[in-house]
Amino acid sequence: MDTSVIIQIVVSGAFMGLVYALVAYGFQLTFATSKTINFGQGELVMLSAFFSLTLTRLGAPYWLMVPGGLLFGALLGLFVERAAVRLALEQKSEGWILLTIILGLLGFSSAENIWGRDDHPFPTPISSDPIHVVGVDITPLEISVAVGVLGIMGLIELFKRRTLLGKAFEAVSADRDAAELMGISSTRTVMLSYALSGAVAALAGILVAPITTVGPTMASALILKAFSVAVVAGLESGFGVVVVGLFLGGLENLASLYLGSGWREAPGLLLLILALALRPNGIFGKASIRKV
Amino acid sequence: MKRFLLIRGAELVAFLLLAAVPLAVTNPFALGLLTLLAIYGILLIGLDVTVGYLGQVNLAQAAFLGIGAYTAGLLVMKLGVGLLPSLAGAFLLCLVLGSLLALPALRLEGPQFALATLSFLALTTTVLNEWESLTKGAEGLQLNRPPLFDITLNAPGFYWLCLVLLALVWMGMRNLLSSQWGRAFEALRDSPIATDAMGVGTYRHKVIAFAFGSALGGLAGGLYAFNFQYLQPQSFVYELMVILLLGVVLGGRKSLWGACVGAALIVLLPNLLSNRNLFQIFSVIGLVVALGAGTRAWLKKSVRPFQVIAPVAAMGLLALGSFLVSNTEDWRKAIFALMLFAVVVGLPEGLMGWAAGALARLFRVAAAPLPPATDLDLVLPMQALSGHTLLELRDLKRHFGGVKAVDGVSITVRSGHIHGLIGPNGSGKSTAVNVISGLYAPTAGDILLDGKALPRGSLFSVAGAGIARTFQNLQLFGELTALDNVMVALRDTYRTPWPLVLLGLARKEEKQAQAAALALLQLVGLGDQALSKAKDLTYGAQRFLEIARALARKPRLLILDEPAAGLAHPDAVELVKIIKRVHGRGVTMILIEHHMDVVSELCDTVTVLDGGRIIAEGDPEIVKRDPKVVEAYLGAMAAEAPAVDTGASTAPAAA
Amino acid sequence: MKKTLIGSMLVLMLGSGTAWAADTIKIAITGPFSGGSAPMGVSMRDGAKLAIGSINAAGGVDVGGKKMKLEIIERDDEAKNERGALIAQELAAMSDLSGVIGTVNTGVVLAGDKHLQEKGIVKIITPAAGSASMTQWRDAKAKDLSIFRFAAHDGIQAAMVVEEAINRKFTKVAIIHDSTNYGVSGRNDLVDQIAKQGNKLEVVATEKFNIGDKDMTAQLLHAKSAGAQAILIWGIGPELAAVANGMAKNGMKEPLIGGWTLSMANYIDNAGKNADGTLMPQTFIEEAVTPKSKAFIDAYHKVYGVTRIPSPVSAAQGYDAVLIFAAAVKQAGSTDSKKIKEALEDLKDPVQGVIATWNKPFSKWDPADESTHEAFRREQTVMGMVKDGRVVFANEADRARLAKAEGGKKKAK
Repeated sequence: MDTSVIIQIVVSGAFMGLVYALVAYGFQLTFATSKTINFGQGELVMLSAFFSLTLTRLGAPYWLMVPGGLLFGALLGLFVERAAVRLALEQKSEGWILLTIILGLLGFSSAENIWGRDDHPFPTPISSDPIHVVGVDITPLEISVAVGVLGIMGLIELFKRRTLLGKAFEAVSADRDAAELMGISSTRTVMLSYALSGAVAALAGILVAPITTVGPTMASALILKAFSVAVVAGLESGFGVVVVGLFLGGLENLASLYLGSGWREAPGLLLLILALALRPNGIFGKASIRKV
Repeated sequence: MKRFLLIRGAELVAFLLLAAVPLAVTNPFALGLLTLLAIYGILLIGLDVTVGYLGQVNLAQAAFLGIGAYTAGLLVMKLGVGLLPSLAGAFLLCLVLGSLLALPALRLEGPQFALATLSFLALTTTVLNEWESLTKGAEGLQLNRPPLFDITLNAPGFYWLCLVLLALVWMGMRNLLSSQWGRAFEALRDSPIATDAMGVGTYRHKVIAFAFGSALGGLAGGLYAFNFQYLQPQSFVYELMVILLLGVVLGGRKSLWGACVGAALIVLLPNLLSNRNLFQIFSVIGLVVALGAGTRAWLKKSVRPFQVIAPVAAMGLLALGSFLVSNTEDWRKAIFALMLFAVVVGLPEGLMGWAAGALARLFRVAAAPLPPATDLDLVLPMQALSGHTLLELRDLKRHFGGVKAVDGVSITVRSGHIHGLIGPNGSGKSTAVNVISGLYAPTAGDILLDGKALPRGSLFSVAGAGIARTFQNLQLFGELTALDNVMVALRDTYRTPWPLVLLGLARKEEKQAQAAALALLQLVGLGDQALSKAKDLTYGAQRFLEIARALARKPRLLILDEPAAGLAHPDAVELVKIIKRVHGRGVTMILIEHHMDVVSELCDTVTVLDGGRIIAEGDPEIVKRDPKVVEAYLGAMAAEAPAVDTGASTAPAAA
Repeated sequence: MKKTLIGSMLVLMLGSGTAWAADTIKIAITGPFSGGSAPMGVSMRDGAKLAIGSINAAGGVDVGGKKMKLEIIERDDEAKNERGALIAQELAAMSDLSGVIGTVNTGVVLAGDKHLQEKGIVKIITPAAGSASMTQWRDAKAKDLSIFRFAAHDGIQAAMVVEEAINRKFTKVAIIHDSTNYGVSGRNDLVDQIAKQGNKLEVVATEKFNIGDKDMTAQLLHAKSAGAQAILIWGIGPELAAVANGMAKNGMKEPLIGGWTLSMANYIDNAGKNADGTLMPQTFIEEAVTPKSKAFIDAYHKVYGVTRIPSPVSAAQGYDAVLIFAAAVKQAGSTDSKKIKEALEDLKDPVQGVIATWNKPFSKWDPADESTHEAFRREQTVMGMVKDGRVVFANEADRARLAKAEGGKKKAK
């Protein structure tokens, strides 16, 4: 096989890997503050994309649609936190896993009935005609995905390090009880993390929608992979997700090429089980010390 | 006896009624649903082992259903194997695969475990889909139901087969769960560390539990194959898994009834939804129930407002929707979600968890009576006070990165002594006993018990060598009763091999264990609270229970890690009495303590640590006046002065 | 006593057996109304409802001198085999059900139809096209069959696709298909047909994709580097669009030829200009070539508030299937499914549908020849092509032929 074809295949997988990474980053945000993740995050991606599509159809320009979609995502995130997570946190139960799954189901069904079961194209001003970069075809759309993903992750990391609110976020992530004693409201911080996570999911939806189209099932395959990326990288690993996302995306396409397209996911899954068995806290996670 | 009759009677009546249905109903659809109910019952009982008892979100059960289905189907179609052997094949293959998956997966917890099992599920679907030469891939596998001993099974016949298997699984599971195995499963969910420290191998039990649950999935899969007679890999995917999980939670975790009710809900709900009138009636009933239960809970102030408002809002939305929406089929998933949401928030114990509580109150079911306590001499034999060296630490070190928590400590503990270990916060006392008991491996140095090297870095092995401990931060099995807490830890009691346990032949052993545990509870003054859940005991009682539990190990050496921390004065006094009683039976102890007066009253010898090193050692009265000790305490603990006074009831000290 | 009580309660709960008025013809419509194959299921259902609506508006079906209305029982099988099997059991247990129309997924057909066949209830499969739906009965050597199909089965379609590729002088093709039953059996049919038509095509690559996949680069580049001149494809809308878009991205201009699903709105919309030139066999094209089809298309648009039918083929087949079923009820003069089956096997009067005028669509079941219960022949199927977001006739001759056939009949009257 031609080397340039192989490179093209890997690059193309890597771009999808970046989207996995962004959704995975949304998982990390909430896990850091509350040790919970939203199992309905895929529906959040999908609902935000649908909402943004509606904004566009109502005539909103692209620069207005993006913040609108992000805001919608953040509000949904807050709703998930209130309805599914807070009670479980107060009771220290694992109810959140089921409740987030259930809310996801509700979101899915609502989308099916409000926007229909069909897939819709998502208009974007960014071109999808390929340009040739050192022997590889890349579309401006893919570049916009990369820029968007790395951009928002950079912004949020800056926010966490440079602002007072962000530092509160870090404090709660490091030690919830100690932060409470210092007068930081952990409930508010968890809310903030869910809002941010919702906005991140919305951005993922907006970035990926022109490529994948918008439909109720648009994120169901995506979300499992994002979950893998988050856990393999480590649920507290920050930029580690980008590395793992790129790797997984590329690996899938290579497996498809060499093992046959039906087996594309198998090596990734196998690696995942092994990676977890060897490093339960993720490749970039810190090993924890058992305490009594 | 009344309890026995009620519980067994309910089971018997339920099974008899189910078995009688084909005699009264010839409707093949009703029979088909009931068959599926029995199959899903087996499947969910298997899933409940991990989800309920181990407390882990297991997403692999759908995979085992698929593997079992394909195994049975292929055995029949390719090798012409009979009905029962192919079911056994499905069971065994899933048992093996379950243990293989469990080996890496059960090192994980929470989301990581969920993901590992999810990956296994995805991998299974891929293999079933791609291995076309064997499974026919996506085209699907058509198969025939083989005869059972030359009898061709018609629909009622197959239903009865499924029902008989469900009953067998039910009985086996009930026997297993009411034995030491069931207690161990629950214990390791509540505190894996304490489970290991009590000599019950966490990992081994987890692997076995998971493998067994998976094997039940395989059995259910075999029945599934013979029921539908057409298999496709895409049936066994994440979507089914979510429904199974919701079924277990809805029905009620840790309950055979719950699993079967969950199965019934999964099977029946979709059919309920397809009839609009019936659905309207049910949603209005649901709203009324939610309102009623909510108002009652509100008045009793027993729950948080959210738990009242959310179910009412969800059911209200449902009732409203049932009249507004013209096509309920379209909204099926949303309807399902709203119902589930109301139940999960309003009844976290699940339907059967809630019903079981209500029924127990209604019928005033008394707990099964306890046997009289065994003579303490049999449970905790007198040990001779020989005074020879029992435990020896030689230049023990444990470093965490740059922090030298224990830095070259050598201690000799004599048999029959109470050896005090004191020092200000952060002096390394807790780390030292954590190294001895095997929670941490030492960085350097030797630990000898009776002159023999002690296993390093394994709570389980150290417990096996005869060292038992309590924990500064309580590590009780909160969901278990006080009696069960002690029973989990009993040494040399459970000898019945598991096949006999499944057959229910471990009852005598159970009675003996109860009697022995009761004796230990009486020793610490908890004889009358044997059947209270550990988490419901008072703080002081919980501390005493930890001691009783450790004594169940018949320990050569008992380590008490700050047993008086946070105790009110009367309890502290009681504690001293208990320790004296235990000492009276010749048990050697290491006592970590802040309270100087407790130490002076109890200890034969005291070692004082500071900064990970020994600064003084000897008779407590002399050590107390050692200038270095006074300085260490006054310097480091000026703010903690009250700690020297047993009267202060400070909150449990942080680690 | 208790037994019967429990028994009757069960029947009440499970069978949803609420009392029906006795003067209606019960007809069940099943298919996936939610999830990925929903556009086909919903279009089929809505097309069928349109036909039922117009029949009922005209007073109903004349059954032995009494006008009876059609009553619909809707069941969503969610494209899941287990649901399909359960629904089939439920329907089979209804004592007064006259027939069933529907099912999109071949797997659901295979899991469920045996229950209906056991009870001899008429089922008209539409639009599921997988060959196994009918060949299973040939293989099982069924003596009598109450299952009919009203869809151009994959065998016909694959033959047309291969024929088209040969006519266009291609020699090397790649087969790309989804990993479901539909895709895999489509692949097998294609391979069969290539051999049957003289091995004039060389398959240089066979690639697969999963439902939900959006990035097809690996599969496409493999096909491209193997030198494929055309892509023969079997899958459903969203993934087909991902393939078309992926081809554009990788600068591939090879034509896409595949199953009828390439006419689904979710393919055409989402592939946009990249869909132009795609070829697929069609039983119905949303173009008003005859007054009957114009009336149908307009009515569908108006009633369901759309400007384009999500899956015109499914809708039209659902519509015509109901008309044929109603004709059989009328001829049988009974709502008994067994009599309707006999009438279907020997329909005396032609039925004017939107796809064609159906003259004896089915004949007496022959265990050696499943085409006796297949309505569609090669001649009811045309080649369609995507052009500017709509499916049009790929060959003008087909268009003219259909319009003429209709016109000719008018004259004959």
